[in-house]
Parts: sequence; structure tokens; C-alpha cells
Amino acid sequence: MLTLFDLVVRSMRKNIKHYYLYFFALIFSVVLYFVFSTLEQDSAVLDRSGGSMGLAFKVAGILLILIAGIFVVYANAIFLKRRSREIGLYQLIGLSKNKVARLLIIENVLLSAGALIIGIGAGMLVSRLFLLLLMKLIGHEGFITVSFSLAAIIQTIIVFMVISTLTSIQMLFTVRRSTLLGLFNAEKKGEQPKKPRTFRSAVLALLGIGLIVFGYWLSGNMMNKWLLFNMLAVLASTILGTYLVFRVTISWLFYQIRSRKQGHLGLNNSLSLGSLMHRMKGNANSLTIITVLSAMTLTMLAGAYSLYYATEKVTRYVMPYDFMFDEDQQDEEWMERYGFNEVSVEEFEAGLKEKGIAYTTETIELLGVEGTYEKGVFPILIGKMEGIYNTYMVSAKQLQKAGFQVETPKSGTLLLHYAQWGSMLKDIKVPFEVNVTSIEPASAFTAVKYGAGDVVNASWGPQFVVNDADFEKYKSAMDQENMLNISEERVVRNVRVFNVADKGQLAIASGIRNQNRSEGSWSHGIDYYSMYEDSIKVNGLLIFIAGFLGLVFLISTGSILYFKQMTEAEQEKQSYATLRQLGFTVKDIMRGIIRKQVFVFGLPLLIGLLHSIFAIKSASFIFMSDITVPTAIAMGVYALIYLTFAFLTIGYYRKTVKAAL
Amino acid sequence: MNETIKTTKTVLHAQNVRKSFGTRSNVQQVLKGIDLRVAEGEFVGIMGASGAGKTTLLNVLATIDRTTEGSILIEGSDISKMKDAELSAFRRNKLGFIFQDYNLLDTLTVKENILLPISLGKMKKRVAEEEFNAIADILGIKELANKYPHEISGGQKQRTSAARALINKPSMVFADEPTGALDSKSASSLLGTLEDVNKKRGVTIMMVTHDPLASSYCSRIVFLKDGNIYSELYRGDKTRQVFFQEILKVQGVLGGDSVDTI
Repeated sequence: MLTLFDLVVRSMRKNIKHYYLYFFALIFSVVLYFVFSTLEQDSAVLDRSGGSMGLAFKVAGILLILIAGIFVVYANAIFLKRRSREIGLYQLIGLSKNKVARLLIIENVLLSAGALIIGIGAGMLVSRLFLLLLMKLIGHEGFITVSFSLAAIIQTIIVFMVISTLTSIQMLFTVRRSTLLGLFNAEKKGEQPKKPRTFRSAVLALLGIGLIVFGYWLSGNMMNKWLLFNMLAVLASTILGTYLVFRVTISWLFYQIRSRKQGHLGLNNSLSLGSLMHRMKGNANSLTIITVLSAMTLTMLAGAYSLYYATEKVTRYVMPYDFMFDEDQQDEEWMERYGFNEVSVEEFEAGLKEKGIAYTTETIELLGVEGTYEKGVFPILIGKMEGIYNTYMVSAKQLQKAGFQVETPKSGTLLLHYAQWGSMLKDIKVPFEVNVTSIEPASAFTAVKYGAGDVVNASWGPQFVVNDADFEKYKSAMDQENMLNISEERVVRNVRVFNVADKGQLAIASGIRNQNRSEGSWSHGIDYYSMYEDSIKVNGLLIFIAGFLGLVFLISTGSILYFKQMTEAEQEKQSYATLRQLGFTVKDIMRGIIRKQVFVFGLPLLIGLLHSIFAIKSASFIFMSDITVPTAIAMGVYALIYLTFAFLTIGYYRKTVKAAL
Repeated sequence: MNETIKTTKTVLHAQNVRKSFGTRSNVQQVLKGIDLRVAEGEFVGIMGASGAGKTTLLNVLATIDRTTEGSILIEGSDISKMKDAELSAFRRNKLGFIFQDYNLLDTLTVKENILLPISLGKMKKRVAEEEFNAIADILGIKELANKYPHEISGGQKQRTSAARALINKPSMVFADEPTGALDSKSASSLLGTLEDVNKKRGVTIMMVTHDPLASSYCSRIVFLKDGNIYSELYRGDKTRQVFFQEILKVQGVLGGDSVDTI
């Protein structure tokens, strides 16, 4: 007497070929989730990566659960469909639907338990690898170990128990709802391409493309007071457009191409066009989801990588010199007033000498000026800036002496520098008029260039770089006390800047600079090195999380395409057998199949890339530096991993075609 | 009549064809040295009990499977010595196939299915179109050109399959139980058409079948038993009914087949 459990064991052994697909999907999800929660639980990780990043980890964790859940449920659906004949057979020989459901659920529980054990085991092995990667990214050097985390194990078990409950319910529903006839035909199901209603399809087909183009256009023109609304409109328009493209535009195009062939389709088209049209309706949804997910992932990755990649450059924008001392703010009274405890310039220089650190130093004068800008030159995003406040005039000659690379402006012209405005001013139209009114008579300058970075460390306002003659003229005019409404202490600020010759000694120098700084206290005189360390921690963690999520998204979408194509390959096995009998070689057939895969994998990637390029472009104001290189690298790596799934799929097809005869 | 057939060109010449299956320790010889000559324009039926080696013989002759021993010449080329790629090209250019379960591609229309075998050839579109029209006319499926397989009946599917087998003007058409899945009316209609094609266009056909009625359309029947040719019957000038009776007689002597006739 065969018990249900015996049946389960037997069917599992027999079906191992079908199971491994689902099994790997499960294991993979467990490993990644476990690694993530291990890192999340590890307090050492949080400390080293800056305490405020706990939230980022939490959000990413929730996203991870969502993706893993959807992925496993989707894989399970494909898996169930592949086994529908077997499910039908059990019912045919007299097992009740409940019994069949119970059989499947027992299998599912066994599989999930197996996947959990293997996944957590594998996760323990690789979590160290991921931790090393994270530490490398946030610039932490030295030895650390991953502590064994019981909490992570429990968390993983709970999450996957919930997911396997979901898949069990899914199985129950599938069995309950199914009819015997449906089960035996499920594998053969595929819609027949219908003649599209010409007019309606043509309109919808064009609408799809139109919506995407509109979304792209709007993404470049959304910087106004409707920003939030515009962002939503861009999203809605592009996603709907993408769906229409897959659902209507492509079917319509295919239909046009096919009817133009008048039956003379040829082998390549028979295997690509014919097969694709046969399933376009069913594939439209998944292709849309994959495209949108790819676009999201690509945007996220490219964005995070751009931030990480540019950390050093962006820090230099704000901190052009290694160290800077505000001489006015060095006096005891001032420090006491604001509660600072800084080393003095003298102490710092003595410290550097003591440690044998070579350096250069220079004094730079900053003149506080006020006035007005020409109307309407600044983009809406930084406000309709007209007045000049909190702005400094600096001499190009002094900057050059201090080692700052800057051209000498002609007399009567100035270079506008301000890091905070960043790349929002990248496209500002020069020249424009700048009217400096802080002295009588007011003098007019022409701004001829916008430079993204600051010319002194931690400047709190825009800087006007002028040539030395203009600077001196202005300075002497100011000395004559004919300036208007500007407070005395802001007239001339002297700052001392330091550059360390050997950048390898920056850490030691920074230690000297900050020796009085108590842990956690904010300091006015933050230096280049400390700021870089802080930024790399944040950006490193960001790229780690983005990369981790990206990997999960990528492998999920790639696997879903692979699973779907596997199913299609099996459905079309008979066709391949027929074709080979008719005298087509494996090579002939593969040519058509590869063409199909170029479409199935290539199109979502291509549209996804295009979407993400526009998304990144519209968000480029966040990035101070040029993002072309890091974006290209991130996208290239993504495409490479994605394409391995295409190669795996083609490999599977080749095996199927070879075995067909 | 027999004289005229013998003087015409030989299309297929099989000599001492042997085929074994299984591993070294457990060899099963299915074909035990078959000699067969098929002349141009013949309609040869192959009959025999289950396990007699009918389908194996067909597969071997049709280059789908390889012989263990012996040689097969089709139009003078020895297919037993060809490489896989050559065999594929040979099948595509010289042979036609009709299968029991039609084997049409679900994703293609009737016309697309029929034109498939010549899709890699260099045939001009206009010529292909004429060829298609001619064959679709003979088989009476011209109106179905733009229908998909799921929209037409079994008989129509088999006609489509036959049209696909004929489109490349093959030296020989192999049919494996072409009427096996058809009702009697569609079956006799299809066989009538095949007979017609055979006579009018001079296409050489070899058909494997269980069904004595189906084989009565042939011009010659080869009976297999245990991997050997047991006997042969020529129709000559006999009517189909008389031929049918003769076939039944031989089958009766051969025995066994009635048991597994579906």
C-alpha cells in the first residue's frame, strides 16, 4: 500500500529534472536574503557604515522580501504549469483534488525546508565575502569577522515560511480551480495570432510609442512647480507606453511584416516571428514587468555607482584644499562663543613639522559683496535668484598661488563658483550681468563662466573670481568705508589653506587637525580627508545596497525569462523534431531560435536601458560631476550579467533541438 | 505492367539493410537484411505486424535513422555513407514526408507550413507561389492558405502535410501511417488524392500502413515479417477491390496484425 508520503518521495525522485529549476530559485532567494539579514543584524557593520544607514538597510530588506516573494511565486506558477499533466494524471487515477493538493503541499514543504537548510548553509559561507566587499566599498581596512547571527537565521526562516505558505495556497488554488481537460491541455496552450483590428491597433500602436516619447520629453522638462505631478506623469506615461508597445505595437508590426510575406515566411521567421506571435499576449505582461524592473534597477545602479565613483571628485569640489583655517575664527573669544575647540594654525603647523609632513600654505582674502544678478538667468530649481548675498570676491592670482587651478579672468569679468549649486547650473547661459552694489559707485561685471567647485573650503556662499587688479581696486574701495549695508566683520575674511605634499600622509595630518575634536561633535573646520571618509562610508553603503538589490532584481528577471523560454522550448519540441525530419540541420534551426532570443532578451534590455538613460539624465542635477563613465560601466556590467541568461537559454534550446530527433 | 515498371529508372535501391538496437550484451536485430528496389512512379505500401520492422525500415530508408549494415541508394547517391549535414540537405531537397499526426507547426498558417521545406532554397518567390498554387489546387486546400492548423479538420491537416511533402518536387515521398488518425471518409479521400498525385505527377511514394484498405491504393505491397521481406504483391491491372481481397489473404497468412489494429 502506497501512502501519500511514498507517492511524494517517488514523484520527487522522478521529477528531479523539473524540480531543480524551482529548487534553485528557492535556494538562491534564501541565500541572498540570509546574507542581507546577517549584515543587517551585524551591529559592527552598522557602526562602521555610519549609524544613520540602518534605515537604508531596512527599506532594502523590505524590497528584498517583496522581490523574493514575487519571484518564488512566479517560478512556482511556471513550475505548476509544467506539471499540469502529472496533476491531471493523479486525478484521473482517482486521487481527490484535496489529496492531490496535499501531495503538492507536502512536496512544497519538503522543498522549502531543503532550500532553507542549503540556502542558510551557503549563505553562511558567502556572507563573509559580501561583508568583505562592503568593508572595501566603505573604505574600512583591517580585519573583521561576521558574527554568527541567530536572529538572521530566525528572520530568514520566518520570511520563507510565509513565502512557502503563499506558494502552498497558490498550489491549493491551482488544483481546486483546474479541470481535467484544462490540465491536459495546459502545456499546449498558446493563443493563435488573430488579425488585429487594423485601425484600432494602429492607433494604440502609435499611442504606445507616443506615450514613451512624451514621457522622455517630459522627463527633461519637469523642473517647474509641478515637479511631483510631472514625475508621476513621466512614470505613468512611460510604463503604460511600454505595456502598449509590448501588447499592441509589436504584435501590430509583426502582423504587418508577416502579411507582407504572403506565406513565404522562411525558416528564420517561422521560428522567431511565428513563435513570438503565437504567445505575444501572454508574454506582454512579463516583458513589460521585466522592462520596467530593468529600467528601475539600471537607474538605481547607475545613480548609486555615479555617486560612489565621484566621491573623491565631489569632495574636492567642496574641499579644494586639504585643510583650511579661518583666521578670524581662530581667536579664543570666538571659539568660546560658539563652543568650538580647535587647534590653532600654529599648533597645526608644529604638528605637521613634528611628524615630518611636507606641506604648502597660503593666505587667501575673501571680500564680502552684495548686489544683483541679471534677471532670469538662474533655473527655477534654485529659486528665482536675483539678489547677491553672502557672496565672496576672490583674486585669481591668490588662488593660483595657493595651488588652485583657475584661469585669470579679463578685467571687468568674473568666474562664478559655487559647489552647492552643483550641476544645476551646468547648462546656465553665460555671459550674464552681475551688478555688485556693496560699494558706491556700484560696479558691473560680466560673468563669463560657471565653475562647479568652490575655490575655498566649505564656502557658505557663491564666489566671484576676478583678476588681481579688479580685486585690489575693489578692496581699496571697500577700505574707504563707502560700502552699504554690509556688516563689518564680513568685509574681509582671511583664510589660511594647507596642502599636504604626500597625500598618503593625509590621515595623519587630519588626525593632527582634529585632535581636539570629541567623538561625534560637529566641527566647523572639517577637512578634506574627514569629509571624504564620511562620504565614502555613505556612498559605499549605498552602492552596496543598490548592487545587492540590483543583483537580486537582475537574477530574478533573468531567471523568469529563462524559465519561460524553457517552457516554450519544451512546448515546441515537436516542431523541432518535424523540422529536423524535413531536413533542417540543428544549425539552421538554431539560427531562427537565436533570432527569437535576441528579441525576447534584447528588447526588454534595450527599452530598459533607454528608460534608465532618460531617468538618469533627468536626475543628473543631483550629481555634481560628469556621470557618463560610471553610468556606462554600471549599465555595461548589468547587460553582461543579463546576457548570460540569454546564453543559458540558447544553450537549453540547442540541447532541446539536438535531442528532438 | 510488371515489365514496364522494371524497365523504368530505379529511385531507391536498398541492399542487405540491417538494423540492430540495444547494447552489446542485448542486441535486438530489427531488420535482418532487406533488399528492396523501388522504381520511379511506384506507390509502394509496406505492411506487417507490429514489431515487424515497418517503421524502422521507413526511418532508415528515409535517412532519419542509420543502418547498422547495408547500403541504400536513392537516385544513385549512397545515403548510408553521408554525414549528418549532407543527410539533412538530402532530405530537404530530395525527400518528402507525411506523418501520422500531421506534424504541422501550430504557429504557422497552412501556406507557411507548406512553403517551409523550400524556405532555405534559392527558389524565386514567384516560382514558389506558382508551385504552391499548383499543389494546393491538387489537394483542394487553396482556400485554407491563411488558416492556422487548429482551425482546420484532421483531413485538411493531412492534406496540408501532403502538400508540404510535395512542394520541393521530391524524388520520393515517405508516408508513415498517414491515415492512422483520420476517419474513413477523410482517409479514402486523402488516399485517392495520393493515388492521383502518384499517377498524374509520377511522384514515387512509399507508405507504411496497418490498414489493408489504405494499402489497396498502392501499386505494390511489401510484407515484412520479423525483419525480413515475407512476400510482395503487385496490383497490376486489378481493381482495388480485388487487390484488397488479395492483401487480406496475405495478411491472414501473416497473422497477428489484426490484434493490434486500432
